[in-house]
Amino acid sequence: MFEKLKTILARIDADYADIRYEIKKETAIVFNGNELTSIGSNSTDGYVIRVLRNGGLSSIAYTKETDTENAIRTVVENALLISKNKKVPTRFAKTGSVKDTFIPQLNEDPRSISMEEKLELTRKYNSIPLHKDKIATTNIGYSELIREKYFVSSEGSEIREELITPRVGGTITAKDGNILQNVRVGIGGSSGFAILRNVEEQFEKKTSIAIQLLKAKPVKAGAYDVIINPDLAGVFTHEAFGHFSEADLIEDSPSMREKMKLGAKLGNEILNIKDDPTLPDQLGHYKYDDEGVEARPTQLMKGGVLTGRLHSRRTAAAFDEPISGHCVAEDYRFAPIIRMGTIFIEPGDSSIDDLFQKLDDGLYLLDAKGGETSGENFTFGTQYGYVVKNGKIVEMIRDVNISGNLYQTLKNIVAIGNDLELCRPGMGGCGKGHQSNIRSCHGAPHILIKNVVCGGA
Amino acid sequence: MEKLLELASMSADQVEIYAIKQKSDSVTFENAKLKDIDSSIQSGLSLRIIKDGKTGFAYTKNLHDREGLIRNAVDSLKGGVEGQLDFPYTKDIAEVDSYDSAIESLMNEKLYEECSRICEYLTGKTKGQINVNSEITTDDIRIINNQGTDIANKSSHYSLTPFVLYPGSYASIYRMFRRKKFEAVPNDFLDYILHTYNSSEKEVSLKSGKVKTLFLPETMYVLMWRLRFASNGKNIYVKESPLIDKIGDTIFDERVTIFDDPLNDNFPGARSFDDEGIPCRRLDVVRNGVLRNFYYDLFYAKKMNTQPTGHGFKSAMWGGETVSLKPTPSLQHLFIEPGNKSIGEIINSIDKGIIIPEAMGAHSGNIPNGDFSVGLSPGLYVENGEITGHIKDAMVTGNIYDLFNTVLEIEDTVHPSSGGTFPAILFDNVSVGTKTS
Repeated sequence: MFEKLKTILARIDADYADIRYEIKKETAIVFNGNELTSIGSNSTDGYVIRVLRNGGLSSIAYTKETDTENAIRTVVENALLISKNKKVPTRFAKTGSVKDTFIPQLNEDPRSISMEEKLELTRKYNSIPLHKDKIATTNIGYSELIREKYFVSSEGSEIREELITPRVGGTITAKDGNILQNVRVGIGGSSGFAILRNVEEQFEKKTSIAIQLLKAKPVKAGAYDVIINPDLAGVFTHEAFGHFSEADLIEDSPSMREKMKLGAKLGNEILNIKDDPTLPDQLGHYKYDDEGVEARPTQLMKGGVLTGRLHSRRTAAAFDEPISGHCVAEDYRFAPIIRMGTIFIEPGDSSIDDLFQKLDDGLYLLDAKGGETSGENFTFGTQYGYVVKNGKIVEMIRDVNISGNLYQTLKNIVAIGNDLELCRPGMGGCGKGHQSNIRSCHGAPHILIKNVVCGGA
Repeated sequence: MEKLLELASMSADQVEIYAIKQKSDSVTFENAKLKDIDSSIQSGLSLRIIKDGKTGFAYTKNLHDREGLIRNAVDSLKGGVEGQLDFPYTKDIAEVDSYDSAIESLMNEKLYEECSRICEYLTGKTKGQINVNSEITTDDIRIINNQGTDIANKSSHYSLTPFVLYPGSYASIYRMFRRKKFEAVPNDFLDYILHTYNSSEKEVSLKSGKVKTLFLPETMYVLMWRLRFASNGKNIYVKESPLIDKIGDTIFDERVTIFDDPLNDNFPGARSFDDEGIPCRRLDVVRNGVLRNFYYDLFYAKKMNTQPTGHGFKSAMWGGETVSLKPTPSLQHLFIEPGNKSIGEIINSIDKGIIIPEAMGAHSGNIPNGDFSVGLSPGLYVENGEITGHIKDAMVTGNIYDLFNTVLEIEDTVHPSSGGTFPAILFDNVSVGTKTS
């Protein structure tokens, strides 16, 4: 494959070019309630070429080998059009050329597990909620996604890497009269099929929560002090802070670049945040990004001070900051963009009991249900929560979305637990532009935040 | 394709092949400067077979191996996915004018020049940061099945979206300009964005409480998301909708009419058949406040013992590779009927309230129940009929079945926006949460 890709690259007249060919193998099994609605394995493939010429960088994604000439002509024309009209030429930060093959070590390769076994495992987990009263339906499936990537650059890199992601999960819906409540459930990872075994307890727990939520009350809209659990704190870290550590999102926003200057004191001094794609077995694990740069841990915040940023080769040069290996594509349909690997708040020294004592009166919110950011403001949904009075949980609440200002919230994190957990989601992914990254991993300990706006009823 | 149909027919009772070719070019400007130009040329096909009442499905981007693709589909039959449905024999479909060949010769240079012209027009008239996205795409779809259906649709789509951004944020005022071919964006389109941004430049605060709230066309998708979910034939079948048994009931204010109209080719993306080859037609979901119809694909129509409505589309909530998706009930051409007041008259009628030009977290919250709880990004504050500033860190919360019974005004014009073509709608007594109580 490398020889074929090198032949294509040799036909491109550019200062720099790279080509990535990917084969994507997907296995999907889906249940809606008791009914199996989908099952099968399929394989798709495609190419992405990037060209840097006279300071203009452009990309093209294409499917058919017979379109190669057309694709090369288009991408070079686009690069020249950019070069003619862009005042500051694009440069790439220097990185060594790499010749390597990275095939992850797995605890059970999903490719060696039969479809029948995958089907039975999914059916077993799906039946856990369906056996309970008040459960109206489920949408639970198995998904296995394998990216076999071949990357070649005009600088001499030749990298083959496989990313193998099995997941099982979905939603459980409870119903009582006209009230519907759903919760997300599941598990997934990069460490092999074994992670999906023996997780009945998760499905039992989430089923019970869906049923309890039917009787939970909505919360009154307003501002509260809140403890958020590791999953929700991880989503906060990812959505509210992490995205603005992605250099491409702030590159052309002078006002945000000003706020996100390295050295700026943005958070409470107890706050340390890191992104580390090299953590083995985590969902966010990879060795090389889709520019062929070896991933490295990046300390984003230390003692509340901004200390680092996630970069592509282009943004590392533009910001004159160290390269980090965070430029990743969803698949063969896209050029890579800057992405988090495994982002997390490092553990502090408070026990859970300390946090509840410090909270006194407020809310305890658990598990994320989608999040979004627009710069300094963020919103995310929570799956469930509890009202806390005098440091004690008193009643369950439902449908709480929280919203806030990034900079105020970073300062309002007043206590950090000692119980770091990293996510292993069984569904979903992080959307940015038109791309979805299913290997986005986040985590945190429990944290206490003052004065968070909660939308209730 | 014909060869594949012939080969697959040997292993199945019914065969359907869906093929798509797509081409797209995009030009983006950030901070009034050229940022990226990217292109994509994609193709692929999916194969659906039915044998002994079971469905098999397979797809590929490159047809390297016909037998391999058929084998994948046959293998998937073994799972036992129910397939009690009949692929249609469709011919003599309505003609829709969805394609303009002029788009084929449009160069990225032209897109660049138009984005550049818009940046120049806006620069100096506002202090906000200016971003512009533009894109041209063409889609070429063909469906054949062994009932004799062989239908195709070609569509062209040009879109350009100018944004004016608030400082320190991606919160913005924006509007999508969508056509079947390239057309220069008129100045009054840009003036709307300028005026709305400039009059809301000042940051103001608002106390938590209930206020009049104007959802602009750009945020109507938040509310429609809940209605799409509840009127989806699949969710009726799995009993995950609060609208089961409510056909014929008045669920919204009588001025509200919401319908799907794939044949309306005034806007890009018109279709005369869905992704299963069923002819498309207009379908009222809500007419004059009364719930009229749910929408179905072949599979769920059969399950519910009703007729398919031509809404089986290969779409997913978060995009995804088209060929890898099986048809599912989907409203692709949603409209809300306009009212009788201009946007200016509506804003003038607000004594105290907010306008939502952009929302965050539409996908959060209890969607089946019709609940929403979204962050304002930002919210515009209106006092005595004038926009006087913008508020941050605020959320609006409610339930669409309450909200659509508090309609005050509906705008007299519809705008192509994400998720459909909508007017702005003013609602009464919407709950807003802020840091000030």
